[in-house]
Amino acid sequence: MLVSNSGPDAASRAAIRLLMRRLPGASAVEGSSNLELSSTSEQPQLRSAEIVEGSKLRANKVPDVTRTMASGFGAFLDGAQKVRMIGRYESAPLVLGITSAAVRVRVNRRLVTWGDQPPRLEHKLYLPLRYLPLSMEPPDAGQPEYGQWPVVDTSTANSNGEYPSPHPTMLLERAIRAVDQEREALEDELAEAWCARGEAPLFVDGGISRSGRVASSTNVIGVIKSHRTLYVEGEALKTVVGLGKGERSSVFLVSPRSRHAVMSWYLRLRDPAGHDVLWGLVRVEMAQCENPTERADEISRWVLAETSPLALPDGRWDKMSYGIRDVEEFLRAIS
Amino acid sequence: MSEALGRVVATERKPNTPHEFHFWTAIDSPVGIGTIVRVDGANPMDGQIPHIYGIIVEGFSYTDLQSPMHDVLGHDGLPTTAGYAATERAEIRLYTAAVLRQIPEEPLQPVPMGQVFLAEEADVQVALRMDSYLREGANTGIPIGVYRAGGTEAVIYLDADFLLGPEAAHLNITGVSGLATKTSAVEWLLASLFKHFPEDKGSIAAVCFNVKGPDLCYLDQPGKVEKSDEALYEKLDVEPKPFQSVEYFAPYTAKGLALNTFRNNEALLDNVTPLTWGLREVLQFAEVLLNKDDIDAKADALIDFITENVVDKEFSDPILSKKHRVQSFADLDAWFRDVLQGMERKDGESWRTHHVATIRKVRNRLSNISTRCAGLVTDAGAVSDLPFGSFEDRTVYVVDVANLEEDAQDLIFARIVSKLREHLERRDLGVKHIVVFVDELNKYAPGDGADTYVRKMLLDIAERGRYLGLVLFSAQQFRSQVHRRVVGNSGTSLFGRMDPDELSTPGYAVLSPATRTKLATLEKGQLMIRHPHFTQPIFVRFPRPAVMQGREGSERYPQASDVSLDAAILRALRPLDPTISLPWVQEITALYTQEEVIRARNATLLARPDNVKAYFAAQFRKIIPAQAAPRPMAGSIKSAPENDPYGF
Repeated sequence: MLVSNSGPDAASRAAIRLLMRRLPGASAVEGSSNLELSSTSEQPQLRSAEIVEGSKLRANKVPDVTRTMASGFGAFLDGAQKVRMIGRYESAPLVLGITSAAVRVRVNRRLVTWGDQPPRLEHKLYLPLRYLPLSMEPPDAGQPEYGQWPVVDTSTANSNGEYPSPHPTMLLERAIRAVDQEREALEDELAEAWCARGEAPLFVDGGISRSGRVASSTNVIGVIKSHRTLYVEGEALKTVVGLGKGERSSVFLVSPRSRHAVMSWYLRLRDPAGHDVLWGLVRVEMAQCENPTERADEISRWVLAETSPLALPDGRWDKMSYGIRDVEEFLRAIS
Repeated sequence: MSEALGRVVATERKPNTPHEFHFWTAIDSPVGIGTIVRVDGANPMDGQIPHIYGIIVEGFSYTDLQSPMHDVLGHDGLPTTAGYAATERAEIRLYTAAVLRQIPEEPLQPVPMGQVFLAEEADVQVALRMDSYLREGANTGIPIGVYRAGGTEAVIYLDADFLLGPEAAHLNITGVSGLATKTSAVEWLLASLFKHFPEDKGSIAAVCFNVKGPDLCYLDQPGKVEKSDEALYEKLDVEPKPFQSVEYFAPYTAKGLALNTFRNNEALLDNVTPLTWGLREVLQFAEVLLNKDDIDAKADALIDFITENVVDKEFSDPILSKKHRVQSFADLDAWFRDVLQGMERKDGESWRTHHVATIRKVRNRLSNISTRCAGLVTDAGAVSDLPFGSFEDRTVYVVDVANLEEDAQDLIFARIVSKLREHLERRDLGVKHIVVFVDELNKYAPGDGADTYVRKMLLDIAERGRYLGLVLFSAQQFRSQVHRRVVGNSGTSLFGRMDPDELSTPGYAVLSPATRTKLATLEKGQLMIRHPHFTQPIFVRFPRPAVMQGREGSERYPQASDVSLDAAILRALRPLDPTISLPWVQEITALYTQEEVIRARNATLLARPDNVKAYFAAQFRKIIPAQAAPRPMAGSIKSAPENDPYGF
């Protein structure tokens, strides 16, 4: 998933112009920058997981790794989001969110956009309507619109019926989380469409456990680069951080709250010597299966095969596959 | 309509302008340097979708790789493993195109964003503004070659009004030697010109100076035409056959026995005419042969005096021993001798204001001409010349000067071009337009060096010839070494494969690096064209001329070696009368000197009589052969009278 940070674009300018007309007293925020993801505010944590390959988490050399091995992935999916505070009304932040997602299919070793489902691209305003004297146009198809912009209310009550406080940071956090969810929804939509087609395995940037259909599909593989949550504890942690290049951990079961259970394992893509312990380390997710060892070996070979060409100049090139970088560049171009 | 092959792109760093734009294509798009494309603008202007035509002048390709080092790292320094990567890096083909034409032409704006299409044949006509002279009623198009790109094949036409005048004129062709591009291109263009030059514009002929090798010596002989060339000929609507009417002219060798040309094989002599000039023809162009030191004001005055008062006139003077009628170099030398002897007798230093030293100098220089140009200039004054006044339509007149000394070449060139000009001015050449082809232009009209008569004349043709119908087709290896006004006045320029050193000269700075690179690697049969209607140079392919190439011709028709006098006479006369045999020649000429025999031959060739034998033999009748005096009869001694008192 790509988070970009660039100066005000045409969409931002158009949105704030509209808001300033409708909201006397609203002011533009100069040099609006992209806002950080809510996930980065999560505390790093260790969490135990059920080992499904053997009784204990071990380091396994991925067999048959060669320079000439082929990858079985036929496509790559990623999403991107731009979150900009384009203005404020009193203390309430006015946020523009641009979310996008795309699948890029590999044809003759070159990546092209999947023809079956066009890339998704959405521009929405994320507004705390409760704190704005804004007269909304009649809701259409359930989502209010403001001019040409769909609006997401960031001041709705939570499951306990409590409304967020008008604290600007609180409202901003809610806007960011809403954008995050929009992007994830787009990704899931495309991943599910891919599953329905039953084509070659899809390489997804990130986890696959949000959607039940995706989490249970055998042709969708998730590769997670960030490790704010490590599914190991104690000796297992030592095993994971001690993985060498081309080694994987035993397969374990990940079943987060409110998500679907998937099988997962850690895989070291590059030699970590001279780097931090998470260098070149990814966590792979796949649907549960009966032969996790063979399947994990096979998928690990695919993921290793995707380490070439390098995803440079992206700073995450140690973990990122070139296919995902290609999707990110594509999304950067269209959004 | 074909599918779009690209999209226009513009960035702040690489913006589009009214004369240049950028676009990208798919990796396998059939475009390259020289491809003509059409941009369809996205937004109408005054209700009209803008169409922009451009020619690709530069191409770029790059991937998302930021540093070559990243690729090395990605493959652990092993190039062989690079081919196993699951995915090829994203790669771009980005092209820069120079605008050929915008429609509408006003207001002239930067090229808009839009889709890019491969130009089709009709697009090419519009892009190159050929539509203005290919339309009904203004058909002045002369096919020069075929433009090919992708699946498009379009005939490229030159505008006759801009090739042969009066709008613009002249053509210059540049290219390295050895690829036969320059000569081949001119041969092909003449064939096309003869076929397509509009009837209503009058007649046309060409005078080609063969300055080196045998390339122009077999224009009337069929050459080998490849299948691919046949298709080109068909497309260009020209028949693949040699020139139907070709006349060759060449002077004799210094000995005067054989013609000094590669085309002196007996089998080809029927349309070869000797080129010989006498005193009158040469004296008019003495300036060509005399350098500035020779022709100071005093010498010039004396030459003028001789031309005005001596040549072809009865001339008498008190100091002369007799009346002179000077008609040849031999006569002139006799006149000079008489003048100098007369001055010696009078012990005078000047005669008619001319100092004796000037007279000696001019005598020396003029008498020397017949030696320096032996074979061309005759002492006797026999003249055999191009048919000025009766030039024929669609005929090529080849003057072979390849084996001559530089002086003789200059003289021939100067005199023939001057005569062409005189006749064109008087409108009595026989044709309305004449194309003069000169190779090695950097030798005859160099950018530096002495301001020779020939260079001045070439400049004059280049600057004023188009008004007369006198058109210069010139060629050289190094355009940068030719006088700027000569090449600058060439409305049309052709470029074959170029020498990289030549391409690095300032004259080619207007071309993009990619275009220059393409020029340095052009194949045989490819040309780059600049023409007044084309705002950018265009690459075309032309067919190999359907005439015998020089090398093949010289192998099939070997040049005749030096022969005996009798054999030379036989060879010269037999094309006029095949019944002439060597014994007959030997019998007729047995009693005469070589000079007399050659004179008789020249007269016969010049007259081309019906009865060649009789005419040739008649040339000797004026010479009464020396016969042994009959022995006088011994006179009878008169007997003394019987009554003679003194008788013994």
